[in-house]
Amino acid sequence: MSFINNNWWLVPLIITIFSGILCPAMGTVLITHKRLLQVNLISHCVLPGLALALALGIHPSIGGVISGLLGAVIAESLTNRKSENYEAVMNTILAGMLGFGVLIIPLLGIRIDLEAVLFGDLLTANFGDLLRTIIAFLVFILLMTFGYEKVVYVGLDPEGASASGINVSLLNLALSFTTALVIVSSMSAVGVILVIALLSTPTLLGLNKAHSLRIAMMRSSFFGLCISLLGFILSIVFNLSPGPAISVICVASLLIPKLSQIIKS
Amino acid sequence: MATLVAENLTFAYTEKSKPALNKVSVEIKPGTLTALVGPNGAGKSTLLRILQGQNTPDKGEIKIDGENLYRSRALVALMPQRSSMNWKFPITVEKLVSLGQIKYSKSRSNNPFQIKALLEYPNSWINKCCELEATMQRVGIANLANRRLDSLSGGQQQRALLAKTLMSPAKIFLLDEPCAALDPPAKEDFLKIVRQLADAGLSLLVSSHDWGESLNNYDQVIVLDKSVLAVGSPDQIKDKLDAINISSIKENNFCD
Repeated sequence: MSFINNNWWLVPLIITIFSGILCPAMGTVLITHKRLLQVNLISHCVLPGLALALALGIHPSIGGVISGLLGAVIAESLTNRKSENYEAVMNTILAGMLGFGVLIIPLLGIRIDLEAVLFGDLLTANFGDLLRTIIAFLVFILLMTFGYEKVVYVGLDPEGASASGINVSLLNLALSFTTALVIVSSMSAVGVILVIALLSTPTLLGLNKAHSLRIAMMRSSFFGLCISLLGFILSIVFNLSPGPAISVICVASLLIPKLSQIIKS
Repeated sequence: MATLVAENLTFAYTEKSKPALNKVSVEIKPGTLTALVGPNGAGKSTLLRILQGQNTPDKGEIKIDGENLYRSRALVALMPQRSSMNWKFPITVEKLVSLGQIKYSKSRSNNPFQIKALLEYPNSWINKCCELEATMQRVGIANLANRRLDSLSGGQQQRALLAKTLMSPAKIFLLDEPCAALDPPAKEDFLKIVRQLADAGLSLLVSSHDWGESLNNYDQVIVLDKSVLAVGSPDQIKDKLDAINISSIKENNFCD
């Protein structure tokens, strides 16, 4: 324990590694299922839950997961994904829940470091943050271990999957729950808003020419790990905020395919 | 062999909406290739989903060999429309086809012995139909096994989807507009394959917009526009053409 206490960077580094692997793997599932908008929704919906949980004396992560999941369920129940109003409804709930969160913070008389929640504060991460990340990691591994075939089938052919007896609604709820967990767990690393970069950018690189979802997830996680570690190192060396640094590197990494094309030609 | 009989099917999506299907009765006999034609919004896809058990009719009943559909749902397989598939999903053709074997339903007909029953067919290639490689070979995609789905042409994708559907232990196959968006040679090729499947003993119901010469490939034609307007052989249907109220079909240039 004294080793960890003397090496303040160790816990943040482990969180960086876990988040760098977990977020892109989750993002690969969500992008292939065309559910990335839901990440945005859930990430904005966690704030009222965090505030209410703090006011009630519950661990804020639990409140965040519940309110994130609640937002996703409300959005799904108000519309269906084939509806042309789907995106408008999702964005309305997203903005409404974020606004509700900001409104109730002063009303409840609690103090939340909004900047840390929204954009992350990796270098001050503690054991609680690490535990949260590990729990999200384990839940994702469990989902993939026992539901990989179903996740593939539903992502490819939801109607066929339903006809085969798969409970598509239940699987989507499980995906929403895991997404909420991943977003809340990455709060300390990149924040609930900037997590969208870590969920989507490495996936764009990993999905390219992958022959299976599993391979795409592994590749995305590799790219995500590289990006996260680079962001972590740069933020220590240049005294930057890690969340925004990782997000900017994500954008820069989009140039990798272009550069490789130029080199090849 | 299995016979599907549906009687007086009536279905509306909501209580207030007009019926998508009104007193529809159809019979699919073993070893027949049946075309289900009608204009957009005629209820073709709705009927196929009901016959597969995905939707429940408000009235009417469906029986397979005299037994209620919901007790033998796995005897019916549905090949969905192209638009319902996520073609960008990272998956190989071989993996897609193998998904057709997956049955999570706990219904009685989910019994894996259905495969055994299918193997009892005398035709040798049907015996192999339950096997991945033989099925892919049958529909001409064996050489594409390791290709990613989104690298295939439209015709190849449809054949892969057909192979996936054939992997199920069903005896009655419902194909929802399998020729939509296919060019004429690919369409002809596809119809040849389904003709051979019917000749080998499978029952196929194929929905289509096509009101032209390709109907000659079928044993039976059902004209649907909310209700069944006509049933008969292609020649009989062509003779009845003027008598059938298919103005919407004519207006949409579905006539040759």
